[in-house]
Amino acid sequence: MNVNEYKYNSHTEMSDELTSGVKDLLFKMADDELILGHRNSEWTGLGPILEEDIAFSSMAQDKLGQAQAIYNLLNQMGEQDADTLAFTRNENEYKCCHFVEYPIGEYDFSLMRHFLFDAAEALRYNSLLNSSYKPLSDLAKKFRGELRYHTLHSEVWIEQLSRATEESKARMQSALNECMPLALGIFEPSKYDDLLLQEGVFTGEENLKSGWYEHIQNILTNSGLKVPDLSSITPSFGGRNGYHTEYLKPLLDEMCEVYKIDPEAEW
Amino acid sequence: MYGGGNIFEKPENEIQEDPVKLAEFEARILAGEKIEPTDWMPKEYRKQLIRMIEQHAHSEIIGALPEGTWITRAPGFRRKLALMAKVQDEVGHAQLLYSAAETLGKPREEMINDLISGKSKYSNVFNYPAVTWADTAVIAWLIDAGAIINQVANSKGSYGPYCRALERICQEESFHLKYGHDNVVFLATGTPKQRQMVQEALNRWWPPIMHFFGPSDKISVHTETLMRWKVKMASNDDMRQKFLDMYVPKIWDLGLTIPDPKLRKNEETGVWEYTEPDWNEFKRVINGDGPCNAERLAVRKMAEEKGKWVREALLNRNEMYSVPLS
Amino acid sequence: MPIKSIDPRITRANIEIQNKETSKENKVLEKLDHWQTYEVFAQNKRGEHYSHVGSLHAPNPEMAWILAKEQFGRRNKITGIWITKTSDIFSVTENEEEMFELNSEKIYREAGGYKVMDRINKFKKENKKISEK
Repeated sequence: MNVNEYKYNSHTEMSDELTSGVKDLLFKMADDELILGHRNSEWTGLGPILEEDIAFSSMAQDKLGQAQAIYNLLNQMGEQDADTLAFTRNENEYKCCHFVEYPIGEYDFSLMRHFLFDAAEALRYNSLLNSSYKPLSDLAKKFRGELRYHTLHSEVWIEQLSRATEESKARMQSALNECMPLALGIFEPSKYDDLLLQEGVFTGEENLKSGWYEHIQNILTNSGLKVPDLSSITPSFGGRNGYHTEYLKPLLDEMCEVYKIDPEAEW
Repeated sequence: MYGGGNIFEKPENEIQEDPVKLAEFEARILAGEKIEPTDWMPKEYRKQLIRMIEQHAHSEIIGALPEGTWITRAPGFRRKLALMAKVQDEVGHAQLLYSAAETLGKPREEMINDLISGKSKYSNVFNYPAVTWADTAVIAWLIDAGAIINQVANSKGSYGPYCRALERICQEESFHLKYGHDNVVFLATGTPKQRQMVQEALNRWWPPIMHFFGPSDKISVHTETLMRWKVKMASNDDMRQKFLDMYVPKIWDLGLTIPDPKLRKNEETGVWEYTEPDWNEFKRVINGDGPCNAERLAVRKMAEEKGKWVREALLNRNEMYSVPLS
Repeated sequence: MPIKSIDPRITRANIEIQNKETSKENKVLEKLDHWQTYEVFAQNKRGEHYSHVGSLHAPNPEMAWILAKEQFGRRNKITGIWITKTSDIFSVTENEEEMFELNSEKIYREAGGYKVMDRINKFKKENKKISEK
């Protein structure tokens, strides 16, 4: 798309219905980044080797930075500021998928989640490059470099560990089996999908999922893993509508503990 | 982050070095040149440097734990991101320093084994807990400030790889210091609750901060040699004085109380007077009986063990270990 | 009893405090546990030489690159990284520096070693005399 030909340069040009759809998309993106960035930061100082500790922490920081940027965009669309959105909402107001809520587990789980989630994330941002809503396209451009590194990092790790020792192969396979239903939860359909597609804002979850499945299937199969057939999996849905796993509430309580000592205070 | 207070071991017995090579070595240091890994060096120089750089590296990786305590609870994006970046930097510093120590011939695995077994020490302050969020602010400001004083001095030392690592470390620490100061300022100028938090944290951390640079150095032939070789760059007391001179006024500016009624600058001598820190406690904690020693080592051990399958999977057993270049 | 820490991450990790005496003989890491060493070269700006910026531990070059990117490229902007195994670096270590000493008498390869203006001026002068004759 020509840089000067965005259909929507500002949300003020959009219908109320479309605005709601864009906000819904932004909330789920931001909440995913926030919660997964938070989870992945738990490895900082405790990673499997110093060098990887540093790399994984950088990517967790990138995720939080992306969350903040998306909340800022929501703020420009009339929502509250980034800190208030991230640190003071009730559990059922978060739109993150179940996948990001799960505890970090062992490094196999954390890496597999990193691979599956970041592949979806990269495709999502990639499709947003062509969004008819300029701020979304700008956002996608801004994070392109970061995401390239994230996907490279995750692919190298997955390919190498899946082909290494018997133990590591078995671990990666069982991590994959555990992750798949959760990962499909990323693509929980939204009632706004058709509208967003029609208006050229976003390609929609179903399209994203097909592209994602093809992409990860290639890499995982080449790495010697058995990719579960989509028809055999029940996706873990609910997160996008505020129904969460048992893990989200304690995570939020912990994350907001200091902030909530006095939400009016400046920290 | 690293202070003085590292105890340099007395040489077990005098090692006879080649007098010609020793003279060349000392002349080089006197001329302000750096020593590089492949240069000839006295055995005692190598041994003391390994010891010092290793302790420094351990202090960084263990130092990631007290502040890491609050990594999942930092309030707001700005603090959350900054704390993550800071703790990450500490891990990065450990990486740089272990490499510098490795150039002297001790592999990283051996150093970490010595850390976990308690054979090798690290900075005493990290055996104290970060009880509240405000503790991380005080650590980031004042412990890092102390570390910078020590590290800037050490970066003018004689061993090339250590100086190069310190150069980058000091650059990053200056962000830590600014972040820590900013954090303390927000608390000290904030709500009564925030002020109380930071005052209590300062009360807790003042004694460890006074311990940070170590006890007064006993002037011995041994210390003199280490200073001549530019291994030890400043006396513990000098660094402590410098720290007090730079930071006590800044703490007082914020209306905080330093829990030492005797603390004052003698206007005639220009020297800070203070209650003598409890050096028995210092020794007790360094030898393993601090509030967090056991936890810190158990956590480090857990991290190494948890990561073992990852490292083992990718290990190429046909490879030989090489001492890194710098 | 597992550690109950102020750090919730540590409490969740469910770890036991090690016995002080047995910990003395504890050897958690075997040789090469942290992989072999690689050397990292980085370019600060397009057009400049790559220079050595440090070393790291990695199992193979591809992984070394990925890990080096964050350890040596996260704080200052760089434009590229090269990785090589430490053992592939060849250097002469004994008395290396003596060989590198420069002999200041080798002026035949310095720009300052060539001064011909005197000769030209003399030639011009003499030439003038000849043509005047």
